[in-house]
Amino acid sequence: MSAVSTDTRSRDAVAPAVSRGPARRNACRRPSGVAARVAWTVVLGLFLTFFMLPVVWLVLAPTRTDSDIIRGDGLSFGSWENFATAWQRVFAYQDGALLTWLTNSAVYAFGALAITLVTAIPAGYGLAVMRFRGRKLLLVTTLISMLMPAAALVLPLYLELNAVGLAGSIWSVILPLSFFPFGVYLTYIYYSTNLPPDVLAAARIDGCTEWQAFRHIALPLAKPVVALVLFFSFVANWNNYFLPFVMLPSDTLYPAQVGLTNMLTASPVFNTSSGIIDIRRPELALAALVTILPILVIFLVSQRALVSGMLAGASKE
Amino acid sequence: MATRSTDRPRRVNAGYLFVGGYTVLLLAFGVLPTLYAIWLALTNSRGQLVGLGNFTRTFADPRFLPAFANIGLYLVFWLAALLVFVVLLAIMLHGRMRRTTATLRFLFYLPGALAGVASIVVWLILLDPNASPVAPLLKLLGYQSLSATIAPGNLPVLFMIIAFWTGAGGWIVVMYGALNNISHEVLEAARIDGATVWQLAWRIQLPMIGKWVAYMLILAVAAGTQLFMEPQLVSTASFGQISDSWSPNQLAYQYAFAANDFHGAAAISVDLLLLGLICAVVVVFRTGLFDRD
Amino acid sequence: MSTSPVSRVRNRRWPAAVTALAFVLAGCGSADPNVGGGSAAAPFQPVAQEEGSEITIWVDATRVPAVKAYQAARPDVKIKMVTYSGGANGSNELQTKVQLFDRTGSGWPDVVWPNTQDISWATAGEKPFAAPLDGLVPQSTLDGYADGALERCQVNGKLYCLRNDLAQVVLWYNKPLMDQWGYTVPTTWEEYQALGEKVAREHPGYLVGTAGDAYSEEIYFWASQCPASVLTGEKAVRVDLRDAKCTRMASLLDTLMTAGSMARTTVFDAGFIANNASKVLLMPGPSWYGQVLFNETFKTPAGQIAAAPPLKFAGDQETFTGSVGGGIWMVSSHSKNLKAGADFVQWVTTNEDFLKTSGTYPADKSAAKVWLEKQASENYFAADVAPVFEAAAGQVWPDWAATTQYSQEAIYSSTILPALTAGDTLTSKLPDWQTAIEQKARSLGYQVN
Repeated sequence: MSAVSTDTRSRDAVAPAVSRGPARRNACRRPSGVAARVAWTVVLGLFLTFFMLPVVWLVLAPTRTDSDIIRGDGLSFGSWENFATAWQRVFAYQDGALLTWLTNSAVYAFGALAITLVTAIPAGYGLAVMRFRGRKLLLVTTLISMLMPAAALVLPLYLELNAVGLAGSIWSVILPLSFFPFGVYLTYIYYSTNLPPDVLAAARIDGCTEWQAFRHIALPLAKPVVALVLFFSFVANWNNYFLPFVMLPSDTLYPAQVGLTNMLTASPVFNTSSGIIDIRRPELALAALVTILPILVIFLVSQRALVSGMLAGASKE
Repeated sequence: MATRSTDRPRRVNAGYLFVGGYTVLLLAFGVLPTLYAIWLALTNSRGQLVGLGNFTRTFADPRFLPAFANIGLYLVFWLAALLVFVVLLAIMLHGRMRRTTATLRFLFYLPGALAGVASIVVWLILLDPNASPVAPLLKLLGYQSLSATIAPGNLPVLFMIIAFWTGAGGWIVVMYGALNNISHEVLEAARIDGATVWQLAWRIQLPMIGKWVAYMLILAVAAGTQLFMEPQLVSTASFGQISDSWSPNQLAYQYAFAANDFHGAAAISVDLLLLGLICAVVVVFRTGLFDRD
Repeated sequence: MSTSPVSRVRNRRWPAAVTALAFVLAGCGSADPNVGGGSAAAPFQPVAQEEGSEITIWVDATRVPAVKAYQAARPDVKIKMVTYSGGANGSNELQTKVQLFDRTGSGWPDVVWPNTQDISWATAGEKPFAAPLDGLVPQSTLDGYADGALERCQVNGKLYCLRNDLAQVVLWYNKPLMDQWGYTVPTTWEEYQALGEKVAREHPGYLVGTAGDAYSEEIYFWASQCPASVLTGEKAVRVDLRDAKCTRMASLLDTLMTAGSMARTTVFDAGFIANNASKVLLMPGPSWYGQVLFNETFKTPAGQIAAAPPLKFAGDQETFTGSVGGGIWMVSSHSKNLKAGADFVQWVTTNEDFLKTSGTYPADKSAAKVWLEKQASENYFAADVAPVFEAAAGQVWPDWAATTQYSQEAIYSSTILPALTAGDTLTSKLPDWQTAIEQKARSLGYQVN
């Protein structure tokens, strides 16, 4: 198994040299290389603008006043005082409800994430490398359940959880969220494209049990896919609105997404006749920014694991 | 084949152990609710079987066909954009300056973190030519007000743009990771043979990430047929200028919670499920996604 | 491949499967969701009451101070407060959740702040969600509400809610501008139209109103007594936009839109606030426009805005006006402590000390007096709004169905507004609007005639 890691490392070391190689060797292709570089920069620049412009606007919004957002330039910086005011109003909303919602979100998201990881990773591995009756059925069923529209599942899920006495508790959110078929598929595809059968065969010949093979061969290779599942599952849990909206009976149990929607409907920007005048566009933008910070942190953490080498294939010839 | 069959008994048991935990969750939160929903679609509120009655009834609803026409058009735009641009961007980002592309991947992903309220606030302003940071562009296209921007004919493209903005970054990361799986030796060999960047992408990189592309397409179909958030949020941002049943999923929601008719809602959901399944089956068989090797 | 045995087994199973499928698909019941659903409510049977038990109150964020004030006034009442999206535009959170509670038989709140549409489903069915308040609230209290204010709470002769605030439409105007240009405030729609055309000629860019709000139909067509939806039975409506009372208003608005003094976008649109807010000369609108729109949104300086009585058509006998919003409180029929719930809704809709701080015009007449005094003391308006508000409160046309299960605002917004933006006339879109209302009503089980 040490062979795997040395292999990855050596490839990393080789990579820069390899990619520099052809350019130097093939001097006659230079001109088109310049054109390609320009095209590369222009296309990525355009997409960068597309993806980032709204985000930049959102980041600037809390520093501006509501009327400046409407009347002023599209993109401009207001002042830190405005930011401080918005900050103070957002956290004063219903006596600091935002902090409660963020805590709840963290509990639901991490709770469900833990269950997802211990169920989805082995399942994806099992589906990818083993043969057993019902394997295809399991794959098809997983696929169907991903395609089923959520609106139709609300009532069945609610009745089901109510029947076992969980409706209204935090488990009514954590358990359904921890069912994450996307993660199983990610893991399944990862192992079925990246884990050469002969490595496992060799391990079995060495007398490894299936569990040992998984533990000592597959898991060490799993870092990138664990990072992927972790990330997508976390984001899905964190941003899920409908499930907690339906299941939870009280605003003290709401996660940030549901709480924030309540804040939105309380804002005079959307609830024109009877909004709370302190919550307008800058405050909503700030509240939105605060609630996405955890996602960005998780992204950066898991991205590192991804970059370190999705490439783990030990013996790909 | 022969060697496998000898050790099958042992591996069968182990296989079940590995998928066991997940299977329990799948049964409880996937299969059971779906079966119940299908049961709802075939019965009425007194529990009597009504055959396809709910399906013909919802089909006759004047909102039904427009909603499915909307979603069909949207799906075409959405799948095309995702397929072309995500693969293009992933290949463009791959194998270049590591630091820069890592940063770019992060920045492309950023909108994916914005959901719900955050997107509503963003799009409320962005689509309004009077306050938008892209106002010159909108005015160039001839839109002078928010309601002009969200004219009915623009909606499928508009929702595609919003969905692409939030969803593409995550897929770029996945595709980038998949491209990392292609060994450098293969690429290097092709380069030495004189393959251009295009040939490299088309003949080697694309086929080798085929399963990932297929997976993305299936999920894109799943997400696309269930379109709900985007019309809902533009509707909120425009004080309801978009019909509350623009997409079939919204229509199902209207049935369930505005008309207290879970049976009609379930019927529409089953229609959507079938639509998604047809698309998915095409993808699965064209790409061999379920094949073990 | 060794698939043949499997497929043979499968083949043998087919006939049975087909038979079962055919049985399921043939069915026997009716798929019509309304069969048997129209039965009238049984006489109200309260659940076993528990004196002094805790009551759960669902409110929107704006109503939180009301619950806190009540708790301070009655410290011995046990209250659990939950904030939810409540009366916000188009929210159906209450309906969604009550439907789920109905299925499981538990979880209902005791008192709710619903949106106006909720009263429709909450009073329907065999066991309506809303509890009738007759007998729980003394008649003397009920007499204290503005004339007609409780109309929308009355279903089949029973009172299902209490009215919190009124949103009667009046005619807002900019007093210094009117004086400066020598205009007199119109009293009829005919004068209003003439003035609008004059303004368009003499002061282009200035506005006398907008038809582009989601609730514009409640400002103009309601006041014009247009039968966009008139309840003719519990689940039956008359929809007739071909009526002369609709077409007269449509052509008035079309004329002014063509002239240019009637806007086509909503007053809360960023573009409107930035470019048009300072050019509003006249604006028919609800009583809450004064503070919410002119003061807080448009930031119009004090001493400019005043309110005039609602307009009438010269040929009409009586003046009628519209209404945009106005909240209600409901008590749940599943409550174990109806007495506490009823006391709460009474207190928050009639307590003068609390209501004078509210943002909107209280439905209770004596609370409204105190509220108006406070408005006058703040000196924002160019003239006292009290006589206008008080008179208009009783002039809301009663036949407009404000409590249908569908929202007129949503239909107007998605049918008419895009057309107005595209430059179409209202008159040409009346048939589309008619169809949209009919379809929506039918989809919710209404009989349309």
